[in-house]
Amino acid sequence: MSGPNQAQLLVALQDLEEMIREAEDPGQRARLESLGFPVTGIEELRKALQALESKISPAMTTRYRRLRTRTGRAIVPVVNGACTGCFNNTPAVFTSSVNRGKVINCENCGRMLYWP
Amino acid sequence: MTTDELVENMNADLFVGDFKAASKSDALDSLTEAVVTGSDVNDRELVLGMLTNREQLGSTALEQGVAFPHGRSLAVKQLTILFARSKDGVDFESEDGKPTHLFFLILAPPQDTGNYYLQALGKIAELVRKDNVRQALMEVEDFDSMITLLKEAS
Repeated sequence: MSGPNQAQLLVALQDLEEMIREAEDPGQRARLESLGFPVTGIEELRKALQALESKISPAMTTRYRRLRTRTGRAIVPVVNGACTGCFNNTPAVFTSSVNRGKVINCENCGRMLYWP
Repeated sequence: MTTDELVENMNADLFVGDFKAASKSDALDSLTEAVVTGSDVNDRELVLGMLTNREQLGSTALEQGVAFPHGRSLAVKQLTILFARSKDGVDFESEDGKPTHLFFLILAPPQDTGNYYLQALGKIAELVRKDNVRQALMEVEDFDSMITLLKEAS
């Protein structure tokens, strides 16, 4: 079985960064703890983040980081054929199986696209 | 969130009455498989990875045999709630060390800025805090009975 492709790794990276950000947010943390969920493993998540990042090519990570800084979310889902970062329609050819797993950028806003 | 709003996000394809798992990792794997089978969530690996990471932050198993694996992922298009029941129970690293029998898997997209999934989680946690509700959930025969039970419990 083949492992995750670069697009999936980037989504996982962003998901994990967001999970850490939420866990570090005092309000969100208090909310989770009030529901009975301990928030004790942030260091473990940071290690998981490093391990995940090591699987992504440095050039791709650099692109991702630039987009994170510039746009907030570097990678966004395509919903009903539109980039949810800028709501511009994406060319149908992007969804071709030839492109599956490739990291494709929105032609309008430059964000990386993911088809959930 | 009201119970009516909660149950609007549940459906019969995400009801697993005879859930079986040998371990926590096996349970996460099987819960992910069930949610991929019963919903529009397609990327199994991403969801499983996210749930596994979430458990590293702290176990989502509470006391009294109930667990709430949950989190957000770009692989999820809308709030998705799966119910699974294990008659035998699973060691899900609960705080009281007892087996977990009732699982509510809650997934949300990252753009859930209103924390809707935490509201859903809070509502279910409130309902299952009652002994009689947990006991009844162990016996409900189908999805419709579960929904009736949750509505009556609120």
